[in-house]
Amino acid sequence: MTGPPVQRGARRRSSQALLTLAGTMMLAAGSGCQKTAPPDSLIVTQVPPGAQPARPAATLLDQRYPAGSRVVLVPPPYQAKDARVLSQGLLAAGGAVAVPGGTRVYFAGKADAGSAWQIYQARASGGRPQPVTSVPGGAMDPAVTADGSLVFSSPVPKPDGLWSGSNSPALFAQSPGGSPRQLTFGARPALEPTTLTDGRILFVSGRPVSAAGQLPRLGLFTINPDGTEFTSFALDRDGAPLVRRPRELPSGRVGFLAGPHDGGLLVAETIRMARPFASRAPLISEGPPQCTSIGPGPEGGVVACWKAVKPGASEAGSVAVHLLAQAGTSKPSLLFDDPAWDDTEAATIQTQRPMGHISSMNPGKGSGSILCLNAGFTRSGAGQEGKPDRIRVVTLKRGERRVLGEAPVEADGSFMIELPADQTFGLETLDSQGEVLQQLPPSLWVRPGENRTCIGCHEPSNRSPRNQRPLAIAQPPVRLREGSQAVAQQNCPP
Amino acid sequence: MNRRGFATTALISLLALAGLAVGGRYWSVAHVARWTGRQDLGFVNCTYCHGQRLEKLPWTQPRPRHPSPAALAVSSDGKRIYIALDDLDEVVEADTTTRQILRRLPLAGRPFGLALDAHSERLFVACRDADEVVAVDRREWRVVERIGVGSAPVALAFCRTKAGDRLIVANSISDDASVLALSPLRELSRPQTGREPYSVGVAGDGSVAFVANRLAVPQHYLALPESELTLIDPVRGRVLQRTPMLSAHLSEGVATVPGRQWALAPVIKVRNLVPITQVANGWVMSCGLVISDQQGNVLQMPLDEANDYFADPSGIVVDPSGTRAYVASGGSDVVSVLDLERMAEWLYRADEAAKAAAVDDLTLSAEYVLARIPTGRNPRHVALSPDGRTLYVSERLDDSVLLVDTGTLRAAGRIILGPGGLDDPIRRGERVFTKAAHTFQRQFSCRSCHPDGHVDGLSYDFDGDGIGDNMLDNRSLLGLAGTAPFKWIGKNPTLEVQCGPRFARVLMRTSPIPPADLKDLSTFLQAQPPPRWERRRGKPLTPAQERGRKIFFASVTSEGKVIPRERRCHTCHRPPLFTNRLPSNIGTRGPRDSTSMFDTPHLLGIAHSAPYLHDGRAKTLEELWTLYQTNDLHGVSSYMNKHQLNDLVEYLKTL
Repeated sequence: MTGPPVQRGARRRSSQALLTLAGTMMLAAGSGCQKTAPPDSLIVTQVPPGAQPARPAATLLDQRYPAGSRVVLVPPPYQAKDARVLSQGLLAAGGAVAVPGGTRVYFAGKADAGSAWQIYQARASGGRPQPVTSVPGGAMDPAVTADGSLVFSSPVPKPDGLWSGSNSPALFAQSPGGSPRQLTFGARPALEPTTLTDGRILFVSGRPVSAAGQLPRLGLFTINPDGTEFTSFALDRDGAPLVRRPRELPSGRVGFLAGPHDGGLLVAETIRMARPFASRAPLISEGPPQCTSIGPGPEGGVVACWKAVKPGASEAGSVAVHLLAQAGTSKPSLLFDDPAWDDTEAATIQTQRPMGHISSMNPGKGSGSILCLNAGFTRSGAGQEGKPDRIRVVTLKRGERRVLGEAPVEADGSFMIELPADQTFGLETLDSQGEVLQQLPPSLWVRPGENRTCIGCHEPSNRSPRNQRPLAIAQPPVRLREGSQAVAQQNCPP
Repeated sequence: MNRRGFATTALISLLALAGLAVGGRYWSVAHVARWTGRQDLGFVNCTYCHGQRLEKLPWTQPRPRHPSPAALAVSSDGKRIYIALDDLDEVVEADTTTRQILRRLPLAGRPFGLALDAHSERLFVACRDADEVVAVDRREWRVVERIGVGSAPVALAFCRTKAGDRLIVANSISDDASVLALSPLRELSRPQTGREPYSVGVAGDGSVAFVANRLAVPQHYLALPESELTLIDPVRGRVLQRTPMLSAHLSEGVATVPGRQWALAPVIKVRNLVPITQVANGWVMSCGLVISDQQGNVLQMPLDEANDYFADPSGIVVDPSGTRAYVASGGSDVVSVLDLERMAEWLYRADEAAKAAAVDDLTLSAEYVLARIPTGRNPRHVALSPDGRTLYVSERLDDSVLLVDTGTLRAAGRIILGPGGLDDPIRRGERVFTKAAHTFQRQFSCRSCHPDGHVDGLSYDFDGDGIGDNMLDNRSLLGLAGTAPFKWIGKNPTLEVQCGPRFARVLMRTSPIPPADLKDLSTFLQAQPPPRWERRRGKPLTPAQERGRKIFFASVTSEGKVIPRERRCHTCHRPPLFTNRLPSNIGTRGPRDSTSMFDTPHLLGIAHSAPYLHDGRAKTLEELWTLYQTNDLHGVSSYMNKHQLNDLVEYLKTL
């Protein structure tokens, strides 16, 4: 060692500092230390103003997010200059969601004109986004469950004929590093999932229709993160022709966009979770004509996107992000506007992690059970539709209705059946003459090992069961298996 | 020693050890077979039968005491509030303005219930463990009178009647109510109530007292459970009406409504007869409010919402104008504010069918619930200032009393009684036990089925092993330390296994309780003694009980026949825990049971944990042998006459 002692000491201290720094960095990298986005940051989808999708657009997302669309992170105080692009290097991106806490953001992205839409993951701290799905037909509408699994809809449908065509997207879940697992098995598309704070996945789907060729009304449905307990959540007979982007809002509400099928205006509406089927109301009493997004905002508020009109200006400006301190009661204020872009979708990063769910499935079992407490209990009241004598179970096979079998209805109206898992089925109650009393077209499913229960057929929503021991459980369930013949649809009360 | 010598010695030693081990095992299997009379057990660890000492069990050890607030009473001028601290054996007086404790009164016997007389001159205290009511002179702050009542008085209410002042006392263990006259205190009558009377409310004119009972009276395990609302005439001390509350139980509060002839009692709407296939939509239970008129006609209204639940409703108070009720939900840390006028309007509009179905409609509460006010941990008792402007809420597991401004429905301060006890794992475990947030949509807590760690007296159908199969009686958690394994089939070796992921899967339908919380929960459960253990311990037996003891430990029948060892009571129910913790076939397998072998339950406090057997088919101890004895498999009892059977039951009640 040469040089004076002071220099040697300084050199030693420098190398110690460097070693400490390197060690800290290695530790940080090794422990998975990730930078989170600042609290209350916005994740915004920006679309170039006036951008038109290639004609005709190949998919729904090509129409929704034309080339150049991007996802940005905007920290408070929400200045355009602070926006950080998360979808760098992609042709188009949109439909973003952040994991609770905000370390990562998922969104739908398209690498180039010839590739399919897939879900990408970006770190809130920056860097190039990485694809996390690689599914045929593409993936869209990401959501994140309590255990960190990604939920998405696949395949990405064509822009027209989504609800009448056969190209039906379903929901899938994918654990970090795992493969996609299908969650929904209904006959109608399952779209736009979001995770509720109670852990369920809320999504948009079509209500079953009785007549062929009839377009469905859309409603909101829930499943558990394992696909069990498929349940109608809101929008029943008042379901809109188009429902989009449901999101849980503060103060016990769920917001969504509703509008006509033909590409008309979408209006922001809310429902109260306390009575979801009887509380539909506009988000803003004198709201904007067109809304493109709704979601939870900072400090218990709601953020929504619509075209901003500046005071004194004769024409509307770009689509911007607005804040409502409280849904339905307060006047909105402009939260973020980047005049160079249409800010079409926005949500703040949530800190609260949804409640977890432990699966009650038995993956080794090929069937599930259905127990109905009283098939005669309907919205009209018990027995108003006639006394059911037996239940017929129908399924869809390559678009054709097939009967799986029939099971007796007990004297108290109960029945219990065991069905093949992960297969769409519907139910028909029959009287003693074989006439159909009530009909539910194929739209339900059971997961392997799932025990499903209902209190009636077309029963009122949000009802608890009466405390009585159903007669049907005195015997094991009636086992119904495939191999039955095709049948024509019968007319029956809807 | 050379190498060969060493190797030989080592080999011989190993062989000897192996021989000892094999021989020991053979000997122990033979020993078990000999002393249990059973050949099916094979090798059983020594600790199943030996080394059990009650003195070593957690529930016999001293534990930290906490200033947990129980009942509250506010003076007629609104300046003072009285708080029962049952765990400290104290009653305290606090200033409602400064929120400071002014005076403390030591009062042995777990003071739990409080009531003030008309002019707030005397404070009456129900002492739960002392089986007495004491009168405290407010000015002198000393006990001036005391009187013995039924077992475990937990609540009392004062009323003025045309025949003089009365106190109505709910005696939770003796299942009766004491009707007391004042000045001096004397018991006029002790009418029978339902099972576990827990709260009392009195009509403003003193014409009727409502006693809400926590548990359903045992009946057939597949019958609709009913708890009772007992209407008592305070003047004569007679029962006016016994009103069943169908599928409703765990009522811990009752309040009358000024201006209306209503009494309101929060309840849990239990659905134990329906298989537990899901939790959503209140499939296991939900919370409701029973409305009774003064003739005992009742209807039930929901307290929960479609996607949110307010578990374990407990205390209730109605404001002086009779327009608002406040209900504390101990599992959800919330006080619900009910608009009684809106509720009355809905009832006026509704037809009979709608009223009958009301409690099952989870969207209905939005019609009359004005607000949900967040509180500290485990709100249980509530009281109002005389002007109705301040609501007081006992936050039992935070050691504090919350003050709520009823105008703004916001917290207005707290009376701090203690630090909260978070350094005590038993207290932390009790917080886990009472916390509904571990369940899907906060629908219920451990306490919802195990009030105060005990039983709710019902049987349930879990779907994990098939719908309709294996109906199971709810077992008491009191005195369970040292009785592992758990579950009726003895499948779970520890409480952590019993209450961990398995429980999340079959019942809570959420993520399992985190390990640290689970450990605290286990600590709490193991610290719970059998009911009234200290009172029975060491007490001399009566002649009947002594005769029963001899029957319990008998090896021959009264006719001189030898009772096979495996059918002697004390072989399986071996002291000191009165269980050998091994499964047995006692011939009780039902047509939908998947096994004949059931865990041998301990018998400590068995008198209080009806019904009995794995599916709860026996409503009483007597029925174990009169209705459900099968070929003397559950002990040999066919030789007993009714007097011997009664003696045996009397002895069992002392355990």
